[in-house]
Amino acid sequence: MTAPLHEPTAEAAPSPAEEATVATADAKAVQGRSLGRIAWERLKRDKLALSGGIVVLLLVLVALFAPMITSILGQDPNEYHENLIDPLFGTPTGSLGGISGEHLLGVEPVNGRDILARILYGARISLLVGFLSAVVAVILGTVLGILAGFFGGWVDSVVSRVMDGLLAFPQLLFIIALVSVMPNDLLGLTGSNVRVFVMILVIGFFGWPYIGRVVRGQTLSLREREYVEAARSLGAGRLYILFKELLPNLVAPIVVYTTMMIPTNILTEAALSFLGVGVKPPTASWGQMLSSAIDYYESDPMYMVVPGLAIFITVLAFNLFGDGVRDALDPKASR
Amino acid sequence: MTTQRTSGRRKQAIAAAAAVAALLTTAACGGGSDDGDNGSKTGAAGFDAANNKVAQADLAKKGGTLKFGAAQDADSWDTTRGYYGMMWNFARYYSRQLVTNKAEPGAAGAEVTPDLATETAKVTDDGKTYTYTLRDGVTWEDGKPITSKDVKYGIERVWAQDVLSGGPTYLKDVLDPKGEYKGPYKDTSADKLGLKAIETPDDKTIVFKLPVANSDFEEMLALVSASPVRQDMDTKSKYGLKPFSSGPYKFASYSPGKDLKLVRNTEWKQASDPIRKAYPDEITIQFFSDANQLDQRLLSGDLDLDLNQTGMSPQGRTTALKQHKGNLDNPVSGYVRYAVFPQSVAPFDNIECRKAVILGADHVSLQTARGGPVAGGDIGTNMLPPSVPGAEGQKYDPYKLATDNKGGNIAEAKAALKACGKPNGFSTTIAVRNNKPVEVATAQSLQASLKKIGVTVEIDQYDGSQTAGIIGSPSNVKKKGYGIIIMGWGPDFPSVQGFGLPLWSSKYISESGNNNYALIKDKAIDGLFDQYVTTLDDAGKTKIATEINHKVMEGAYYLPFVFERFINWRSDNLANVYTTDGYSGQYDFVNLGLKNPKK
Amino acid sequence: MLAYLIRRLFAAVVMLVVIVMVVFGIFFLIPKWAGVDIALSFVGKQADPAAVEGVREKLGLGDPIYAQVWEFFKGIFAGRTYTGGGDSIQCAAPCFGYSFRSEQAVWPVLTDRFPVTLALALGAAVLWLILGVSAGVLSALKRGSLWDRGAMVIALSGVSLPIYFTGMVALSIFVYGLDLFDGQFVPLDESFSGWFGGMILPWITLAFLYAAMYARITRATMLEILGEDYIRTARAKGLKERTVIGKHAMRSTMTPLLTMLGMDLGALIGGAILTETAFNLPGLGQAVLNAIKNQDLPIILGVTLITSLAVLVANLVVDILYAVIDPRVRLT
Repeated sequence: MTAPLHEPTAEAAPSPAEEATVATADAKAVQGRSLGRIAWERLKRDKLALSGGIVVLLLVLVALFAPMITSILGQDPNEYHENLIDPLFGTPTGSLGGISGEHLLGVEPVNGRDILARILYGARISLLVGFLSAVVAVILGTVLGILAGFFGGWVDSVVSRVMDGLLAFPQLLFIIALVSVMPNDLLGLTGSNVRVFVMILVIGFFGWPYIGRVVRGQTLSLREREYVEAARSLGAGRLYILFKELLPNLVAPIVVYTTMMIPTNILTEAALSFLGVGVKPPTASWGQMLSSAIDYYESDPMYMVVPGLAIFITVLAFNLFGDGVRDALDPKASR
Repeated sequence: MTTQRTSGRRKQAIAAAAAVAALLTTAACGGGSDDGDNGSKTGAAGFDAANNKVAQADLAKKGGTLKFGAAQDADSWDTTRGYYGMMWNFARYYSRQLVTNKAEPGAAGAEVTPDLATETAKVTDDGKTYTYTLRDGVTWEDGKPITSKDVKYGIERVWAQDVLSGGPTYLKDVLDPKGEYKGPYKDTSADKLGLKAIETPDDKTIVFKLPVANSDFEEMLALVSASPVRQDMDTKSKYGLKPFSSGPYKFASYSPGKDLKLVRNTEWKQASDPIRKAYPDEITIQFFSDANQLDQRLLSGDLDLDLNQTGMSPQGRTTALKQHKGNLDNPVSGYVRYAVFPQSVAPFDNIECRKAVILGADHVSLQTARGGPVAGGDIGTNMLPPSVPGAEGQKYDPYKLATDNKGGNIAEAKAALKACGKPNGFSTTIAVRNNKPVEVATAQSLQASLKKIGVTVEIDQYDGSQTAGIIGSPSNVKKKGYGIIIMGWGPDFPSVQGFGLPLWSSKYISESGNNNYALIKDKAIDGLFDQYVTTLDDAGKTKIATEINHKVMEGAYYLPFVFERFINWRSDNLANVYTTDGYSGQYDFVNLGLKNPKK
Repeated sequence: MLAYLIRRLFAAVVMLVVIVMVVFGIFFLIPKWAGVDIALSFVGKQADPAAVEGVREKLGLGDPIYAQVWEFFKGIFAGRTYTGGGDSIQCAAPCFGYSFRSEQAVWPVLTDRFPVTLALALGAAVLWLILGVSAGVLSALKRGSLWDRGAMVIALSGVSLPIYFTGMVALSIFVYGLDLFDGQFVPLDESFSGWFGGMILPWITLAFLYAAMYARITRATMLEILGEDYIRTARAKGLKERTVIGKHAMRSTMTPLLTMLGMDLGALIGGAILTETAFNLPGLGQAVLNAIKNQDLPIILGVTLITSLAVLVANLVVDILYAVIDPRVRLT
């Protein structure tokens, strides 16, 4: 059910209330160019958000350099260490899930793969899917939202109906269904890459209406503003107005929604892998680790706790950072 | 308690058990005893007490509710359509056959004994005619007698594969090899009994006339797909929702994937049935979507046993082994788990490359992935499961998989690769069902160990419900380049024919639903099978079975993982429990009883 | 108002047709494109060609998509008969399809499973509304206090936890560890206490996640509204703080909460997949997940349709309630 998917909708209150939301958003546009500066000043003062940001930065670095870090530690995410496994129970022989100087977070049951190495590699999948699906959603949402808001008429009707429709879709259900029927090789991709690619597209596709709604609303209100009017009366082309005048003013809401969407996407990826339709073995993913940990919740609780905490910390850091960015970009935020 | 010195691990287990017992002060049911291998105060019979022997037969009392739990529902409860071993086992509660497996532990349980029939077949005409006479007093759940025509109609249903898909089709293949009969639903004769190979001269007599002799024919009649079905009660594809009972119990309610309840069939008479003891009054099954929850219910004593009989999940197994060892049995299941190499996918057309994979694999690692020696089984060394006559177990080990090469023999594997013309290795794809975590684990183990000999493999997990269309289609296998397929196979009936014919006979290669994944076209093997079906003496059959197994292993088509074993749970309250080779090491359901019917 | 309702209902029907077509597309076109024969997944170990043909005929797999969709909708109102291989199966109206995997009509499955999911969603909703809204209001009123910070950190943590992880931890502590709850679903008509005991942990787990979200939204909205002119006016007029908050501020705060509640309930009713998986509840989510694993298209279609219906109805109800709560909104 991925409840968090719906979090952004609260701010993007649907149809009847939308007009009101749009009306109160005027202030944002007035800030103009200096918005980035002001926001940064604000963000710097928000310690929680900053620490969230630092954790996010660290995670990105860890994900980027996962192969290097693991090789420095002398581990490989797919290497078996069956000598560390009790053959009768299939669980690690050492205490706390086989934690040792060599295996800092212990090893997996049955095959003895190093959990730290798998967590580090898992971060790559989580962040990759989290970021790229947000990018897909932002691109689709921005383009379609601007088109709908700027041109109005039937374009607006069609886009709006499609957005309503997508929001009424049982999303997780559709994502699972889509991912599970996808063929194993696609466009020259094979193995886990196919699944990652499909997940990015599908999660992104179901995410765009949240951004699309906001962008459409903003465009609607901006369209009638003096400077757009002015540009128009000066004979500026539609495209010029769209990109030169409108886009800069849409940056703030888009940034806010993107930062809020990434953690949701990370959770969705984990949920898909948890349900068995995510990445394929031996690729490591946090959701997949959690799902195999169910079989050892009592005999090897560490195996469940580690990936659980990894997801928690990552999503929490993104949420803290996202909150901070929102508050910083929104002058009405109560600080 | 034994007075032996306890090892550190054992002490740990006891300490853990004691701590848990202290926590679970309210959990009186089931008992948290930490006693070992012997009978206990909770009443459990002891470790392996019901493995190939009867445990606590005299403690079974009449009455009570026998409670099954299951993580998976049957494929169908229709006697014609079911193919799961546990379904065949359970179906004996509500169906009877002319002959059936003996209600005895171990190997004896695989022998055939008369059920509806007064005695086993009178075989004449060089093994081509089988004649049976029905017992007196055998009745349906509405009190009407079971006639030879009901038996014939029930068997005819196997021909209606377009409506009643799923079950074994041996009877159809043997009685009507040319496929002339179209099945009872398209039968133009008035009584719908148009199948010529079966004659019913009177209500008590049934005669089978085989076009070609088959020495395992009576084994095939012991399958539940040979159960009688009464024509006026045949609801066709819906029959599995409420089969009309000929056995001691009948369906009271069934909601697929949720629960099932059987109650006594009051028309069934004990005197007419030499097999079934029918101890409990009611039998229930509760279905779970999560195996861990099922295991919890078993451990707490809420349920008596697992319907699926495939072993406990890792967590439940660990708890059970540490705290309730006396409730466990560790039978051999009759399944061989293996990897098979389709010869259509290069370089597996070359025997040396096949050998390289067999030799290079780490067999201990594969065994661990299957669950280790106790929960997974002994390292498999050949393709014939120990319960099949003619099998030699680990004694026949042509590639030394359980001895010298058990950790993988990199040098020999590389030599084989060189002989194959691939000295630097090659890359290929493993196909594995996505709904079997243990099989995925073995695929990963294979992937890891083959890397050491330069063979890189990619794992392709396919939808497990699509097995027939994906790996059962040779053209698809070739197209996808599945050089290694991970599967398991158990005997439909304990003979080399009931196990190996679909796997190794060139006649069984088909475009869909193929099971001869290796695409073995070996005249010697085909010839041995032909010889087998016309050999009527047991010693001769056994000898041929051994030969077939050797031929298959010499061809290096298969990499066996384990001769499967599993950890099976029986509650403190179960009595008259025993495993039987007739149902792949499962407990014989039909004669289970309860010690305390009120519980 | 009436015209508005008719328009919305019409849109909803169009929406449902589109959804059904999309589901058909996903499960028939994609496998076809990938070269997988669906009929083969419905037959057993010894796939007889006759069996494959029979399945294809009965399922109407040979028909074009639009014909299949049309048959499906006709079945809902008029019932349907499936024929093939000398067998015919009656599926009475409302026929939401027939599952050949379990040989049962979809409609009884839906009616059987729906109450479980509904109970899960509603019970959790009551809990999370009480918890989330009160925590959010308190935080807003005592902004910056230790309570506010504490509550918001907990809320943020709640939002960041995957529900199946919380569920697993809750199960292993409270059910398997401390044995406080039974942790097993018991149908309501069997025993109320058993049912309640089985539902309490899923309720709490689910409510924890949503309460966190609702607390955050409530706090933010409340803060915004407290800054509005009319609240200042009310205060200036000398109204009691309790009246200002309870009557005026709360009313406006309810509006976005209601939107969320509508969407969340709608989504949950059709797809509490993760919660139902974690706690083994025999609801719609579990049914549909199993159906996806088994490629049991009729069940997937049925659940998807019911789910989408639930979301659409929930949205409609929310919009109408808007007009009641907030006089500024007029339905046109």
